[in-house]
Amino acid sequence: MIDISPDIEFKKELKRLSKSSLNECMQCGTCSVVCTLAPEERPFPRKEMIWAGWGMKDNLIANTDIWLCHQCGDCSTHCPRNVKPADVFSAIRQISYQHYACPKILRKIVNRPALLPVAILIPVIIIAGILLLAGTFRIPDGPVNYSKFFPHAWLNSSFSLITFLSYSFAISGLVKFWNDLKRSRPEAKPKNGLLISLFKNRSGILSHSKFGKCNTQKSRKISHFLVFYGFIMLLVVTAFAIIAAITHNYPLAFTNPFKILGNVAAVMLVIGLSIMILNRLINKNSINSTYTDWSFLISLFILSVSGVVVEAARFLNWQSAYHLYFFHLVCVWYVIIYLPYSKFGHLVYRTVAIAFANSIGRK
Amino acid sequence: MDKKLAVYICSGCGIGDSLNVDKLLQLSSDEQKVTVCRKHKALCSVDGYNTILKDIETEKFHGLAIAACSPRVKTEVFDFPKNIIAERINLREQVVWCSEPGDEDTQMLAEDYLRMGIAKIKNISAIKPYIADSISSDILVIGGGITGITAAIEGAKAGYNIYLVEKEKELGGKLNSFYKQYPANEPFNILIDPIISDRIKEINSYKNIKVYTSTTIKEISGQPGNFDVILLNGKEVKIQVGSIVTSMGWEPYDANKLSHLGYGKYENVVTNIEFETLIKSNPDIQLPKNILFIQCAGSRDKDHLPYCSDYCCSTTLKHAKYIRELNPESSVFVIYKDIRTPGLSEEFYKEVQKDNQVFFTKGTVSDITPENNQLKVTVKETLLGDDISVKVDMIVLATGMTPAGTEDMNLTYRLGKGLPKLKYNFSDSHFICFPYETRRTGIYAAGAVRAPMDVASCLEDASGAMLKAIQCIEATKRGESVHPRAGDKTYPELYMDRCTDCKRCTEECPFGTYDETEKGTPLVNPSRCRRCGICLGSCPERVISFSDYSINSVSAMIKAVEIPDEFEEKPRILVFVCENDAYPALDMAGSKGLKYSPYVRIIPVRCLGSVNKVWISDALSCGYDGILQIGCKPGDDYQCHFIHGSELTQTRGENIQETLTTMMLEPERIKTEFIEITDYYRIPDIINSYVETIEDIGPNPFKDM
Amino acid sequence: MSGVTAAVEIAEVGRQVILVEEKPYLGGNVIKMNNYFPKLCPPSCGLEINFRRIRQNSRIKCFTSTTVKEISGEINNFRVKLLHKPNFINNNCTACGNCTEVCPEERPNEFDYGFSKTKAIYLPHEMAFPMKYSLDVKYCKKESCNKCVEVCDYDAINLSAKDEEETIEASSVIIATGWKNPDAAAIKNLGYKDYKNVITNVEFERLIDANGPGGDKLLKPSDGKEPKEIAFVQCAGSRDENYLPYCSAVCCSASLKHALSIQNKYPDSKVKIFYIDLRVSGRNEDFLRKVEENKNIELIKGKVAKITESEDKSKLVVEAEDMLESRKIKSEADLVVLATGITPNQYNLNIYRSGEGFISDKQKDGIYPVACCKRPMDVSSSVKDATAAALKSIQLTS
Repeated sequence: MIDISPDIEFKKELKRLSKSSLNECMQCGTCSVVCTLAPEERPFPRKEMIWAGWGMKDNLIANTDIWLCHQCGDCSTHCPRNVKPADVFSAIRQISYQHYACPKILRKIVNRPALLPVAILIPVIIIAGILLLAGTFRIPDGPVNYSKFFPHAWLNSSFSLITFLSYSFAISGLVKFWNDLKRSRPEAKPKNGLLISLFKNRSGILSHSKFGKCNTQKSRKISHFLVFYGFIMLLVVTAFAIIAAITHNYPLAFTNPFKILGNVAAVMLVIGLSIMILNRLINKNSINSTYTDWSFLISLFILSVSGVVVEAARFLNWQSAYHLYFFHLVCVWYVIIYLPYSKFGHLVYRTVAIAFANSIGRK
Repeated sequence: MDKKLAVYICSGCGIGDSLNVDKLLQLSSDEQKVTVCRKHKALCSVDGYNTILKDIETEKFHGLAIAACSPRVKTEVFDFPKNIIAERINLREQVVWCSEPGDEDTQMLAEDYLRMGIAKIKNISAIKPYIADSISSDILVIGGGITGITAAIEGAKAGYNIYLVEKEKELGGKLNSFYKQYPANEPFNILIDPIISDRIKEINSYKNIKVYTSTTIKEISGQPGNFDVILLNGKEVKIQVGSIVTSMGWEPYDANKLSHLGYGKYENVVTNIEFETLIKSNPDIQLPKNILFIQCAGSRDKDHLPYCSDYCCSTTLKHAKYIRELNPESSVFVIYKDIRTPGLSEEFYKEVQKDNQVFFTKGTVSDITPENNQLKVTVKETLLGDDISVKVDMIVLATGMTPAGTEDMNLTYRLGKGLPKLKYNFSDSHFICFPYETRRTGIYAAGAVRAPMDVASCLEDASGAMLKAIQCIEATKRGESVHPRAGDKTYPELYMDRCTDCKRCTEECPFGTYDETEKGTPLVNPSRCRRCGICLGSCPERVISFSDYSINSVSAMIKAVEIPDEFEEKPRILVFVCENDAYPALDMAGSKGLKYSPYVRIIPVRCLGSVNKVWISDALSCGYDGILQIGCKPGDDYQCHFIHGSELTQTRGENIQETLTTMMLEPERIKTEFIEITDYYRIPDIINSYVETIEDIGPNPFKDM
Repeated sequence: MSGVTAAVEIAEVGRQVILVEEKPYLGGNVIKMNNYFPKLCPPSCGLEINFRRIRQNSRIKCFTSTTVKEISGEINNFRVKLLHKPNFINNNCTACGNCTEVCPEERPNEFDYGFSKTKAIYLPHEMAFPMKYSLDVKYCKKESCNKCVEVCDYDAINLSAKDEEETIEASSVIIATGWKNPDAAAIKNLGYKDYKNVITNVEFERLIDANGPGGDKLLKPSDGKEPKEIAFVQCAGSRDENYLPYCSAVCCSASLKHALSIQNKYPDSKVKIFYIDLRVSGRNEDFLRKVEENKNIELIKGKVAKITESEDKSKLVVEAEDMLESRKIKSEADLVVLATGITPNQYNLNIYRSGEGFISDKQKDGIYPVACCKRPMDVSSSVKDATAAALKSIQLTS
């Protein structure tokens, strides 16, 4: 039994974010059938669409099925009432991870177009502050050497600390999310806890098998694959780099395997992101893109490109290398530190949701 | 037999190849003493027709038989002066196309049909229609709701005088209490103001509409063209009208029977009509925040109204729309079984769906309990994947329509004061193709008294029923029957000397043609008659006849057949077939080349209900070995055009079986089969298997007596 | 059906009527139907009565194989330009059938939607009114063959006939141009183009009709065998913004009718009807109950969104979400009937149309559109509408 008290504001927010009609759904079930990812029992997105129509926020924000959707748009293409369940789901996901993100103020800053200057100003001011503290807030002379501008010790310790803080908040949100998921399906007892579930579910995520099932946009698997692995590889390289900065000589030689890996990863990211951006532009009609989508894609794109540019600037000894480096650091902040609040958060929330789904046997 | 006759035999379309036409001609002239006997290779050609016309002028005969194709074809060609009796003998579809060519039995079949046709001409008379002296062209409309008002206006526009009678003080009916109407056409995004006040104003602009309000009907007697009506409004007013439109409307289903949905238990549970009236009386009323609609409240429910009332879904959508317009704070919940907005009305559904605060789900309301000044509604079998409960401030029950009774028409008919009802008390037609047929000729039901319908549908219905009312007057003026034997100018003529006041005709006529004296003597109202002949079939005393269809004419046809003696082993089966469906089916069997036994002799009848017992006993005593009746399906989904004609065949059958017993004959000698018009492929099997049955039983012992 | 009704109703009031029909026979789509809901009675029964009313009523002049080119003028004074298609077979025709026997050419029978064949000279169907033969110029070899002309005893065939124009006068005009099925192949996920055993509901009317291509058997188009499991797909194209945004009003009742017709013929067969809402109006609810009570007919709330073939290609697989169970189902069937809807026939006439090509109610005085060219409706409503229009049309002339 569900006690219903429709949340009208939630409906309005959903419609605003998804740019899709919502109420026109006449409950025919076409969407559930054409969705290749929807399970046989209690398939999505038909039931979620009526929940959305009835403003049932609580049922939706802690809902595994929302995260099983990979937004291929098959449902939107076939909907006889021109409703776009894929976009509605995307909007629900956005509302969902923003709901669990804290502090709330950061969530607003990252996701409101009007607050974009603030979102940028925060890293600018903090990075400038750290540089001032380190006493290196000026353009060094001689060949380009970024550690002269931003000593590694300062860089690594400050960024690591801030990232740790940000992610700690994120993890508290995730735990809350996990618990809400459990509450949403009281009848389904997860076999394992969060961590073990995550571990058990590694292969599905790593192989991107779900993407391959989508009919409408096949190219999404490749692009997401490129970006996903590009990003993971860069994380690995970064971790190595931090260690290297302490134990070895830094910067790494161009031929260092990690350096090569980093460069390959950067190329993968740029290609993957380009496809994604083009996809969204071409399929404007079947897939709605919100500010959150764009700000995430574009920031990650700029981050990747600026990384390559900054590297090039070092090798080529460009005059403006330090300016570019500063810009790149702001991008790193924007993408990495803001991760729990931006669309990037879907990486973790989806992972958790899918892990939960698997642990209760929902496939 | 002093009639001078002519016979024309066509040899075209294979008739000449299959039959010895000259022998047929010889039979006509020698045996039947027909004055003019000719053959032609295509009677339907211009030359053929002119030959006949020339003979008519020169030979001055009384009647002619055309032995050629079925009367169902070339009807427009064989059109002769009305004083001549013209009979078509079907040698093509029912002889040569369905029998072996050149066969002795085929020839015998044709010969018998020729004899039967000639016998018929000899025993019928030219048709003189019944036309009453003074026929009123005025039309009475009963019920001054939207349907009645529209019917009156549309009839007046066509130039007829209309009397509009309403029992309430004011015209307008249910629509007077409507706040808004839902749109039936584009644009679907706005509700419309009720059209009723404009219509009432419009009615005053017609000089040929006379309105009687606060008026009831004391009595209606008479027949189409001459209905005598006595109105009561303090005093008696007598008027005469030619036909009547009944638009007595509807009543909402009694919600007191819906206590399981909280009606009568909780103050805030109202019906859709109560809700509409509430808003109409006070559109500025403060509407509560949460309002829930229960669709099909007491409809589509075997314990209440088993049918769907057609208007409730769109009405609830209308309510949802204006609730939201009147109070933007309100939320509306709709619990439905199916949303029924057929056709273009789907647009209206979509329009209302757009609103963020109108919530729809399929579901069944299982419980309503009060909780802190609110009502907690529990709904099962929803689309939300779980049972749900909603707390609301008001519940509106979308209740259905029940038809108003028509007994207040006070018809002085033998068969009752009101219109016959079909199902669930609606005075509707049972025919898909003929929606305006009632069983009281000249009286046409329109609007919700006939079937559940909404305003837009009532407007159409009013015009359609008015057309039929006008048509009935015009047909009556010409002395013609109305549907389904439209154009038939015969009518029942009663030879009262033989009448025993047995009342069978007055009881069995499906259309209430007969009234009765106190003694029980039938009083015929010819203009009420649909010419089905069921009364003719019912009468044990040969009282009733039509000029071209009578006990005598059919008996003569039966007796005209040459019955071979029992040693020839050629049985004869008499087949009565319904003209409407079975006869065309026989034609089609023929045109498809399906062959069947040539031992049958077919006589078309107006309806199986018109088959008189006399014919049966005549046939059996003449020596026919069996009698087969083929007619339309009876039962709930009956297809008889005269409602219960074919059913009567079954009830009378018992009576006939008794006759067989007294004659010491086997019960199988009479059999009835029901077919549809498209069942022609079943004809050979039906006929052949019956012939086999008869061959097994052996010849009729009365053969040579 | 609507045109015929309007014509006889007006003529029986005593007015003159000219009835114009494009096809060589009257009865439109309705004459092709196997039966009506809810009584399961054949349409030709009522049409036979109406044809008789036309035959014996000299006030009706009936032009078949004729189209309207133009309507001009005003109320009480319309001029209507008619185009008579070539009158290859004149009224001398007795429908004796000799021509068909000698005709060497075959054509797909449009009356059976191509599921059967006729000769190039043919009787449109067994109930055809007027009862005369027709000639398909596309398949006839004309004078080079001439066999039919030689065999005709009645001078009824003229292979060199030309079309003729004629202008008639009328005081009012009733438009009853009716409807057609939309192209089912446009609905890609329902496999109409890909699988022979996916057919439309109007095609099904012919297949189940005892006078249709299979005789009194219902046969699958693919292999001519009798189907055991039949699925009906409601709203195939209707209530769908991608195809017809409106509801076609008759398809629910039509499929219930089909289901019962199948059960009457094959009591052991299994029928499934997939629907969104069951839209069965008024007292036809009884009819719905009759279907619900039949244990071999299953009603499933959920729209079919995909039709594929089983791996061995012996069966079709329809997929839907059974919403009341919240479960995706794949159901096998031998024959799938798409309940395709109603779209208005389009003619290039100077009349107002509303959305979706339907003819608007609002025309200039004296022009009255009726029935399915105006909006989707069932036969009974069409007849009702035609009768109402009959009254409108006589108002001006009185």
